[in-house]
Amino acid sequence: MNQPELIAQLQRGDESAFTRLVDEYQDLVYNTALGIVQNEEDADDITQEVFVQVYQSVSSFRGDSKMSTWLYRITLGKALDHEKKKKRKKRFGVMQRLFTGEREDGLTAAEFNHPGIQLEQKENAAALFYALKQIPENQRIAFTLHKLEGRSYQEVAEIMNTSLYAVESLMGRAKGNLKKELEKYYAR
Amino acid sequence: MDKLVEAALGSFDNAARAEAKPYLLTRIRARMERGTESVWEKAGWFIGRPAVAFTGLCLVILINAMVFVFGNTPDKETKTEQVAQNPTDEFSYTVATIYDFENTQP
Repeated sequence: MNQPELIAQLQRGDESAFTRLVDEYQDLVYNTALGIVQNEEDADDITQEVFVQVYQSVSSFRGDSKMSTWLYRITLGKALDHEKKKKRKKRFGVMQRLFTGEREDGLTAAEFNHPGIQLEQKENAAALFYALKQIPENQRIAFTLHKLEGRSYQEVAEIMNTSLYAVESLMGRAKGNLKKELEKYYAR
Repeated sequence: MDKLVEAALGSFDNAARAEAKPYLLTRIRARMERGTESVWEKAGWFIGRPAVAFTGLCLVILINAMVFVFGNTPDKETKTEQVAQNPTDEFSYTVATIYDFENTQP
């Protein structure tokens, strides 16, 4: 089924079209969310939220961009919001621990294992995921979309609503910053 | 060190897409039936934002400071009343005593 037809059916409230949409794009949404939040349960939660939003707002989708581009944008927005909420909770937790005297017992980002990474690369990938958390948001998005989702620079530019030149520049800076962070990580 | 860094940077090469957990559609439908966030949840989320919380805290401190600074000075009206009352007390020209009524003869 082609995209305009799928969108038309979704806009008419066709339940089978929604099932097909979820079947087709669930891994795209889940993998993107997982690359950003680095937690399987959170990524699953975000994936559900994304499809609920798609279901509720598909009537306003004009079809100017590809369905996948729209889904990437919603997913990235939700994943980054989730990150911010988590950071707020963490800050509140620090304040709470100051008063209660409890110690932090959370896992560090370096322990995250992406299920799609080859076994012999797990350790290196965990270090890279840790470094990714330390670099600016837009560099992290560009790097994750290109390296983990396999999108071309042109596609990344469409998703991020920017120019090809800007994506090239973002990727260059992302690699430079990741190198620095990895050097710090291995030196400790 | 350089080798380690390069190996880490290349560790995403040939990575497969992570697959979503089974029965996703069922969970999505359950979530849709549960409905969206309540008004209280939304309000809590809004108040919990650092910018809003910080602004609220500043306002409370400011109001307290204003009450402390301006609350201790006496009112203008009280002052005027006191000033107006003082000559009256001093010259007693409105005071009528029982003695004055009883002694009508010079």
